Amino acid sequence: MNAKTGRTLFWTALVALALAGLFLSVLTGPVKTTAGDLLEFLRRYDRVQAAIFVDLRLARAVLAFLVGAALSLSGAILQGYFRNPMADPFVVGVSSGAALGAVASLSLGIGATVLGFPAQGLTAFAAGLGIVSLVYLLSSRRGDLRVETLLLTGIAAGALASSLTSFLLFMRSDSFDQAVFWLLGSFQLAEWAQVGAVAPWFLLALVVALWLARDMNLLALGDEAARALGCPVATVRKVFLGAASLLAALSVSVSGIIGFVGLVVPHWVRILIGPEHRRLFFGASLAGGTFLLYCDLLARTLLPSELPIGVITAAVGAPFFLYLLHRKR
Amino acid sequence: MGRPFVLPAKAPERIVSLAPNVTEILFALGLGDRIVGATRFCDHPDGARAVPRVGGLVDPNVEIVRSLDPDLVIGFRGNPLRVLERIGKLGLSVFVLDIGESLEALPPLIERIGAVTRTEERAARLASSLRERIGAVGAAMAGIGARPRVFVLLYGQGLWTCGGESYLDDLISRAGAENVAAHLPKKWALYKREQIVKDDPRVIFVLSKSEADFAAGRDWLARGGRFGSVEAVRTGRVHRLDEDAASRFGPRLVDVLERMARLLHPERFGEGP
Repeated sequence: MNAKTGRTLFWTALVALALAGLFLSVLTGPVKTTAGDLLEFLRRYDRVQAAIFVDLRLARAVLAFLVGAALSLSGAILQGYFRNPMADPFVVGVSSGAALGAVASLSLGIGATVLGFPAQGLTAFAAGLGIVSLVYLLSSRRGDLRVETLLLTGIAAGALASSLTSFLLFMRSDSFDQAVFWLLGSFQLAEWAQVGAVAPWFLLALVVALWLARDMNLLALGDEAARALGCPVATVRKVFLGAASLLAALSVSVSGIIGFVGLVVPHWVRILIGPEHRRLFFGASLAGGTFLLYCDLLARTLLPSELPIGVITAAVGAPFFLYLLHRKR
Repeated sequence: MGRPFVLPAKAPERIVSLAPNVTEILFALGLGDRIVGATRFCDHPDGARAVPRVGGLVDPNVEIVRSLDPDLVIGFRGNPLRVLERIGKLGLSVFVLDIGESLEALPPLIERIGAVTRTEERAARLASSLRERIGAVGAAMAGIGARPRVFVLLYGQGLWTCGGESYLDDLISRAGAENVAAHLPKKWALYKREQIVKDDPRVIFVLSKSEADFAAGRDWLARGGRFGSVEAVRTGRVHRLDEDAASRFGPRLVDVLERMARLLHPERFGEGP
């Protein structure tokens, strides 16, 4: 099998898996429904069925897909940016920073919208970008970026942000379910308005990432070599870091911290279709969405009451992280 | 939820209750057969056990609530606000009640539930009978001199007790006694073993689900807990309060008040000391 047929197979399988996941998600829930019910509903409108199939389940599935795609694309960008396969929005601290930003704006009662952007999303973005810049500065002193330093700094900054988040949450009265939501993530209360808030920004970031994918390929050769080949390194780096932070912050502001998606998915995709960044960015988005869709299905069905989705993604992602770390040594 | 609730024009016929005390009040208002969904903790009166479950107090399931197609959802503080908001966004009418810090808030709470369910008359009757019974206990305690010191133990894990912000603290005052943990500015708090020995309460109330749990709690106080020196334990003034009745802000709280008052001051109720 040559590379081209392999890739065709990859795309076909991925789209089929995504559609199957979407279909399963719409049929699965605490209220028992069958494919027959769904067909019946498509023929004849019913108020209660509409709420269950469209307002609750489909909105949830679409949001899970979008967030998975955004986290995975963010991870793919960060891995290219740091030239390191272990980077991901959770590991480098963006996600935890974004959660801190979102919770801080909630706690301070900033509920306004700025340019149609909810304040919560804006502070999440600012805090996420702040943390990742800080991590970058702290770990790249004296010019070169050491991987161990980067990971440890990211993990420490993330832990600090999470502890501040917990502190803010426990000052409030309804703290427990809020803490679980922000620190472990959930799509339980997903709604179409959230899909509407995330989708345009995700698409914008995806287009920008695809546009600059060639420059990311050059960055893989090292900044000096890339500059010599005509890549405006400083600008490209700024745009990519902004896009990765935006994607992670958006995801966190609607679904809390969901770790490791951005770590594992780009890896799998790279193994299957290679490291070329245009294909990787697109493939990672599609695969990340599909991955999180199935994780959410598991979170909803494993136990009688729902599991936070971060529990599932960490159960899959953390062992993989350890494996990567081990292989590197 | 910070929004004015518009009273329904006609009596709701399909009600979902998201808290056990709300379920009890609905049954007391004769609305038991209109409840189409309740939490897994709604077990009183017996009829409530047969109602379909929508989840728990902190994890009511939005999809199940929606599938029951209710025309009124009654939530309570303790339900996560975000879940209540999500239910409201599905177009269901959601009425949210706050918990009171004193028994005084109970009759108005019942009247508000009466208003949203259009059972105003029955609610007014229930509220005024509760007010009368609360007033009667107050009258019996008029001019009381010595207030015995009381410790409330929520038997189970650790020395949980009710602090000064709990409505049980209010019940204790109305029953003519003084809660040793009243200085703690909380609803529920963990108490210290040494502090109980030092406070030396004259009476201990053990909140327990069953007589067997109560017996275990009383034995633990006497032996395992090493409270042998405490007056209540020495003189055998350790009494049971029904945990569900005492921990739900509903009509049975008045039963609890009457029981407390009679146990603390039998002489005031024409009974031998």
